[in-house]
Amino acid sequence: MEQTQGINFLTTLFPLAMVMFVIALGVILLNQHFRKNLYQQKLEQEEIKNQHQQELLRSAIAAQEQERQRIANDLHDELGAMLSMARMQILQFQKKENNTTNTENLLELIETSLASTRRICYQLMPPQIERYGLVASLQSLKANVNSTNETSASFTYPSDFPRFSNAMELGVYRIVSELVNNTLKHAKAKQLMITLILTDSELICSYSDNGVGLTDAAEGSGLGLKSMRARVEALQGIFVISEQGTGFNCAIKIPFQKIS
Amino acid sequence: MKLDNWILFASTFVVLFTALYAALIYKRLTKDLRFFLWFVFLSGIIQLISLILWFSSTNNMPLLHFYVAVGFIFLALFYGDILQGFIKRKLILGIIILFSLFTIINSSFIQSIFTYNSYALTVECILIIILSISTYMFSLEDLVQEKRQGLWKSIKWINAGLLIYYTSSLIIFNFAHLFFSDQSFKIYSRDFNLQTWMLHSFFSTVMYICFFIGLWNRPKA
Repeated sequence: MEQTQGINFLTTLFPLAMVMFVIALGVILLNQHFRKNLYQQKLEQEEIKNQHQQELLRSAIAAQEQERQRIANDLHDELGAMLSMARMQILQFQKKENNTTNTENLLELIETSLASTRRICYQLMPPQIERYGLVASLQSLKANVNSTNETSASFTYPSDFPRFSNAMELGVYRIVSELVNNTLKHAKAKQLMITLILTDSELICSYSDNGVGLTDAAEGSGLGLKSMRARVEALQGIFVISEQGTGFNCAIKIPFQKIS
Repeated sequence: MKLDNWILFASTFVVLFTALYAALIYKRLTKDLRFFLWFVFLSGIIQLISLILWFSSTNNMPLLHFYVAVGFIFLALFYGDILQGFIKRKLILGIIILFSLFTIINSSFIQSIFTYNSYALTVECILIIILSISTYMFSLEDLVQEKRQGLWKSIKWINAGLLIYYTSSLIIFNFAHLFFSDQSFKIYSRDFNLQTWMLHSFFSTVMYICFFIGLWNRPKA
């Protein structure tokens, strides 16, 4: 009978239960420590991923601008030159033959092609931006809008507006020109306003028009808006669309990168 | 040969074989497993010496005291390496220092080096079980697997081996301590003692087989 004597709870099961408890406690505490570090690691990984994406975006935009520059140069130097030569030869032919009736249409066609080439070149890469900067380019844009006689544009900026890096000036110009394009195409606006404000650390560009405003569908699916947001992100800035009364209002804030 | 002898023979052979294999692949192995390999080498050496001492009828318990302390240091450093970035190195070093102090105090004042160091072994088992269960849980996270890409197949086998062995040891030690100390269990004979150690040897064999599979599944260059 002694052989079947019960196992004493205090001497057998209690130590075992205590050991189990210690193991469970250890696992829980270590797991908590691990979760904290894992969260930090995940944050770091997200940060690296974001940086990588921004770098990719910046290089994609830089490559796009380079390609635009190349196409604009090729169009201007090759196609433009050939069209100019053709124009000259037709003029010479007209003088020589003393007959303008047969070649007049041809000359007009070439003149139109030359004007189109210049316009495309300008749109691809505005010549003022590199030479005269953002303000001159936006003034030229304003003049173009005003020449349509459908919408009147105003542009205000600080008198001592400095030059910025080419990437930044070109980026802001492209964003504003896309906004202007949207206003002219969809907003049916009578007025649009471009304002440049300079703080100690940021360039703020505010844009507004008195058109129909932004519809929810356009906000969600617009490729133009996406591309603008991408450009602002590439410049490490913020793009905010605000709802102030009627029309469309937005502001772009880009960290300052002044060229000395 | 009886089954008991087979198990004893297998448990010795498998330790030496794994240690030999570890030595052969030492230079080709990633740095994350270096402390684990040192643990395997230590086990091989201790096994060999204890066998010699056993044949010469000398008490080999001092070896066990040394093996528990140093073996745990290597295993804790191994876990520290594979969980780097997720578990702070300081925490692992803190555990190592505290455990080392405990084993020194235990061997000096509580359990003589010529007796069985059940307290240190129990604490070692608890710590290794905590580390191995936690490692298993952490390995379910994609980010942890990404950090040690290619190595997790090996780590899973090694970790499984450690968990199986140390869990079984903890139970065996707990009951062995009870059976040998409690007079009410005097019915248990020398045979029972031997059976307990057979069981221990069996789980030890399983652990080293897991180690061997883990090393075999190492990331190939």
